[in-house]
Order: sequence, then C-alpha cells, then structure tokens
Amino acid sequence: MRKPLWRPLSYQQRLRLLLLPYLSGILLLVALPALLSFGLAFFRYDALSPPTWLGTLNFLFVTTDELFLLSVQNSLALVILPVPLRVMGAFLLAILLRRNGRFLGWFRASIYLPSVLPTAAYALAWLWILNPLYGPMNLLLQAIGIAPPAWFADTQWAKPGLLLLSLWQIGEGFLVCLAALQDIPSTVEDAALVDGANRVQRFFYLTLPLMAPILLLLTFRDAILTLQESFTTIFLLTGGGPYYATYTLPMLIYEQGFGLLLFGAASAALWVLYALTGLIVLALYLIARQWQIGTTEETFVL
Amino acid sequence: MEIRDWRFWARLAVTAVFLLPLLWLLTAALHPVGRPLPTTLSLSLDFTLDNFRRVWQLVPLGRFMLNSLLVVILAVPITLVVSSWAGFGMAQLPKASQRRWIVLSLAVLMVPGVALWASRFFLYTRLGLYDTILALIAPAFMGSSPFFVLMFYRAFRRIPVAIYEAARLEGAGVLASWWQIGLPIARPTAVGVALLTFVLYWGDFVSPLLYLRSQSRYTLPVALQLLQQLTASDWPLLMAGVLLATIIPVGLFLLLQPYFARLGG
Repeated sequence: MRKPLWRPLSYQQRLRLLLLPYLSGILLLVALPALLSFGLAFFRYDALSPPTWLGTLNFLFVTTDELFLLSVQNSLALVILPVPLRVMGAFLLAILLRRNGRFLGWFRASIYLPSVLPTAAYALAWLWILNPLYGPMNLLLQAIGIAPPAWFADTQWAKPGLLLLSLWQIGEGFLVCLAALQDIPSTVEDAALVDGANRVQRFFYLTLPLMAPILLLLTFRDAILTLQESFTTIFLLTGGGPYYATYTLPMLIYEQGFGLLLFGAASAALWVLYALTGLIVLALYLIARQWQIGTTEETFVL
Repeated sequence: MEIRDWRFWARLAVTAVFLLPLLWLLTAALHPVGRPLPTTLSLSLDFTLDNFRRVWQLVPLGRFMLNSLLVVILAVPITLVVSSWAGFGMAQLPKASQRRWIVLSLAVLMVPGVALWASRFFLYTRLGLYDTILALIAPAFMGSSPFFVLMFYRAFRRIPVAIYEAARLEGAGVLASWWQIGLPIARPTAVGVALLTFVLYWGDFVSPLLYLRSQSRYTLPVALQLLQQLTASDWPLLMAGVLLATIIPVGLFLLLQPYFARLGG
C-alpha cells in the first residue's frame, strides 16, 4: 500500500507529466536561447566582458556592411531555384516508384540512401566529385563532350554546384510524396480510367491537383530548412567563396559571432533571418487558408 | 522483355543516377596509394584498402568513432523516450490542449538552428557543459525535434481511445499503457524516429564545432574537417575517411530498409 503522503495524481495529470520533459527542454534549450539572442542585438557583447547597451547601432552596423546585402541575396538565390527543383524531383520520383514491380523496395531505398549520409561526409564527397581537375563529374562531362566548369573555383559556377549536390538529398520529400500518393483513393483513379482519361490527362487533372497541397507544404518546409541550415555544406565546401559567391546569412552570423566575437551584430543579422522565415511562414499560412488545407492532418506529414 | 517494362528500366536508370556519387566515393577511397589520379573517365580494377590504414595512422579515427557511437547510443534512446512520452501524452489530452501543443511544436520548428548557436554556447558554458559530451546530446532531452514528437502523436492518435480506456479500467497506469499498448502499435514510427535521430546526431557538425575544444572528444564530422585540413589534396585518403564516417548509417539504413519498403505498399 502506498502511503498517502500526497494526493495521488489523476490519470490526466500523469499524462501531462509525460509532457514535462518536452516542455522544460523547449523552455531551456529553445525559448530561453531564442529570447537571449533576440535581446543581444541591442548590446555589444564579446562573451568576455559584460554586455554594454548599444541601442540600434548593431542593426545599422550590420545592414550597412556590404557583405550583408550580398549574403541575403545569396541565401535567397540558394532557395529560389533549388527548392522547387528538389520538390518536383521528389514528386516525379515518387510517381515513378509508386506501384509494385521488381526490386521496388531496393529502388526506393536507393533514392533515399544519399539522404542518410552525414552532411559533412556528403559535402566532402562532392568536393571530390566536383573537383575541376580530377573529379569524376568533370571527367564524365569531358567524355560526353561538354566543356566542364570549374565549379567551386568559379564565381559563376559555385552556386550551380551547390544546387547540383542538393538534388541527391531529397529522401524526405520523396517519402512524404509516396505516402501522400497512397492516400489518393483508388476509386477516383478507377473512375477516371472508366471515363477514358489517358495517362497524361490523369496526371494533370487528377494526381497533380490532389497532390498540390502536399507539394506546396513541402516547398515551404524545404525553403525554411535550406534558408536556415545550409551552413555545414557551405562551410566545408567553399567557406563562402569564391569571392563571397556562396556567402550566406548563416555564414555571416557565424563569422560575426564566433569569428569576430561580435555577438550583438550577429544577433542583429539573425533578426533578418527570422524576418525572412516569418515571410515564408506567412505566405504558407495565407495560401493554406485560401486552399482550405486543414491545419491538423497535413501539417503533420511535414 | 515486354515493352511495358519501360517502367522497370526507367526505375533502374534513376537508381543508377542516385547511386553514382556513392560509387565515385568508393572508387576514390580504394584508389591505389601513390598512383596518379586518372584524368580521363576510366574504371581501374586495381583496388587497395591501404587508404583506410593511412587514415587510421594519421588521426585517431578509432577514438572519434567511439565518441560518435557514444553520442548516438545516448541520444537515440533518450530521444525515443522523451518524444514518445510527449506524443503519447498529447494524443490523449482534450482536443483544445492538443491544438495548443501542436501550435507550440510548429512554432519551435520554425526557430532557426542558427539562432540558438551563440546563446546555447553561453548557456552550456554557464552550466559547465562546454567541452563535454552533454553539450552534444542536450537536445535529446527535449526529444531532439518537435517533428519527432508530432510523428509519435500522429501514430498514437490512430489508436482508438477505447483501448486506452479499457487498459485504465484494468488498472494500468500511464507508463504501463505507454509501454504495453502505445509503443508496440507505434513500432514503425519508433523505427523511423530512431533512424532519423541516429542520422541527425551522427552527422551533427555544428555542435562539436561550437561546443567542443578538446580534440579527444571530437566526433566523426569534425574529425573529417580535421582530415581535410591535414590531407590537402590527397583525395583517396580523404575519401577513405568519408567512407568510414558513412558506413555505419548506410549499413543501419539498409538493415531497416524493409520498414521503408513497406511505406505506401
């Protein structure tokens, strides 16, 4: 018998207790640091001496830095072209690998395989593949008679290089599309078949409209992730170069903070990243409301 | 072969394209030591394992690998427990509370990782976690990502409420019904979350870069950067290191492949 030293918790209260580690983790590891980084934008702080109040000077300092505008442009450029390509690729692959066939499981696994590689290993592997002199990609291009570019040694080709290597890591979008394709009721397809719709018609009038919400959500999720998390790849592959051609906002924030110990200025740049993320989220919200996409079911796929 | 088999060949071609980078990585890592790299596209059948031995001599790779293994051995189970608890709790709360937790989780998902770098650095320094393995696995104590919590929530919500009610009437507590009813039904989700968590921590480059100082605590991703700086343009050597950092997640994925193959029937 348990002694009633305290009132035993009800089932509901115990359920909430299960959520406690999650909540306290969020407060300590996300909410607190996020607020701290927000506030730091108004101070001069080098992690060694106590912070001193600067008002809005950090914002002025960051936004007048000519690298700042460049980094925002680069960040956006590395989202606008690659992300739709990645989502389209994942979608088309999901359609191709939708129905049963020989070795289907292994084919699907191969598509997902590059996505399980550690980012650093994946980036360094591509540093080799896209090496201008010995890299197998350029040897392949040469063999089929295309003049190979110098990739990360060329300001014109550094961004396309990053785009190219990002196209192999689309496993997550691929899985989400596969799952969503299975949710299309087969009765709808059968009806279209009976009505004599051919393959192309079924794709454009049936599959694409039904999949549009998922594709949209994937696009926005990928945009946010690419905007925020492209740091490791760029840090190892180009370090932001050549001539700042791949210098993005996360690179700038890292260098201002951990490089120059200007944590206040880094935080001011962070505000811009938040603002860009906020714009993407707002657009997503508005379109989702327009299309009447439920805020419960679909969002969880993502 | 039938003409209808075009789909099979298209699938084969796409798969080949997706495996090509890995094939290139493999051939570079097995390239004989001292032989000049080819400047035309060629397939040599002369392979060597010497590069792996050289990597081992150059950096304490065994140490780095152990560190990485320790990180995932701690982070994956902690993440599974915390995120499945949270998902389990969420799934049985009243509708209005569920909605609040969902909104909170989505909001946390929108916070850029970059935003937390510096302030977590101050926090870990203050708490004495700087330069310890705890700084690498700390996020596991919040389930690593709200994404995982939502995945579990989705899985647990599919279980009819009546089943939980029945268990409760039989005297099962919250933990018992989580362990005996929830988890067995949500096993595919648990496997998925486990694999994603493994990949997340195994590949984490930023945390060791920012929160570690001692080389003896380095994990594989930062060890690769070290190797990159040491080897200059000895590509076969670097690729051997890259391959070693890649083998374990790839092997694990292939082991769990049946779970993914069933996705979508």
